[in-house]
Amino acid sequence: MSAAKRVQQWATFARSWHIFDCKWQDPYESAHVIKKYLMGMHKPIYHPMNDCGDVVVCINSREIALRGDEWRKRAYFHHTGYPGGASWTLAWELHNKDPTMIIKKAVYRAMTGNLQRRHTMQRLFIYPGENVPEDVLQNVTNQIRQIRYVPKRLDHIPEEEVKNYPKVMEYPEDFVVK
Amino acid sequence: MSANNLFLKSAFVRAPLKNGVGRYVCQLQRIVFKFCKSNGASRGMRDFIEQDLVDFSKDNPGVVVYLKPRRHRGPVIVGEYLNGDRLWMSVHNKTHEEIVKWVELFRTQQGNNWNSRLRKYQYTNHPSVQGPWTPFTFKDPELNTAELPDVRFGSNNRLPATATEQLRLMFEKQKLDELKTAE
Repeated sequence: MSAAKRVQQWATFARSWHIFDCKWQDPYESAHVIKKYLMGMHKPIYHPMNDCGDVVVCINSREIALRGDEWRKRAYFHHTGYPGGASWTLAWELHNKDPTMIIKKAVYRAMTGNLQRRHTMQRLFIYPGENVPEDVLQNVTNQIRQIRYVPKRLDHIPEEEVKNYPKVMEYPEDFVVK
Repeated sequence: MSANNLFLKSAFVRAPLKNGVGRYVCQLQRIVFKFCKSNGASRGMRDFIEQDLVDFSKDNPGVVVYLKPRRHRGPVIVGEYLNGDRLWMSVHNKTHEEIVKWVELFRTQQGNNWNSRLRKYQYTNHPSVQGPWTPFTFKDPELNTAELPDVRFGSNNRLPATATEQLRLMFEKQKLDELKTAE
């Protein structure tokens, strides 16, 4: 193989790093998006037998949003292997213990069940907040678009913008909220 | 899993030294017809020799033709090629028409390629004119200088506008219209 072709090969099969912001995202929906990047299914060169999966960095996993009352209803099952070792942990309990666990399990479940997914999961980094180590962040070259619209809280909007926002009517000065 | 230990090796279509581009060199160098003068299994072969063999060698002056009569042995065609391959084939009980077709195949192929399976029926040295794909093909060049994570690149830009946003736009438009009428 000539030098130019070798470089071409490196370029085509280079592992790129993607970042995904989990804020206000449904983990079970976004797992199907993250899975594609982890396995390299978004590439035209994809083949199940070639190693073309990318690295995905998930941030803000503490701020995921579950649908309906899933926080209270969804249970995560674990069995220690001993008699009576079964335990069911509700989603909110699991999230309190480890805020990265729900998204991790969702991505693992989204992949088809062969042993390769254990190695593919090694390429998934999940951080509960905004803070990402510098050595991880410096590799990131792309951002995966979110699925859901991220609502804004009123107290996070700058005061200037709130003041200038068009209003139909003004409350009177002496108006008291019940 | 690899294909190395399979019975049939896989191969690509190829022509030696761009054969057929500009000039054609017949790759078949020698063809030997072995047959029996009396056995019924050589009937088709004998018909071929009587009717077509002279024409065949006239049309292909570059191919050496040997005839090898041998008593009470089956009919066989052996081809020898420019790349050193030797192709042996029994034509036991084959009819005249079948042998014509097999000899045509011997003449036109470029060697013994019967022990390989073609992966595709076409081949090119230059599979892509625009160059192979890389992770940066068709990427937004703005990403090169962007500080990631960035809401501009991370938010979903395919959702329809929210009702609040639509109202705000209507209000902006109304303000513009008022300005126009004032002028």
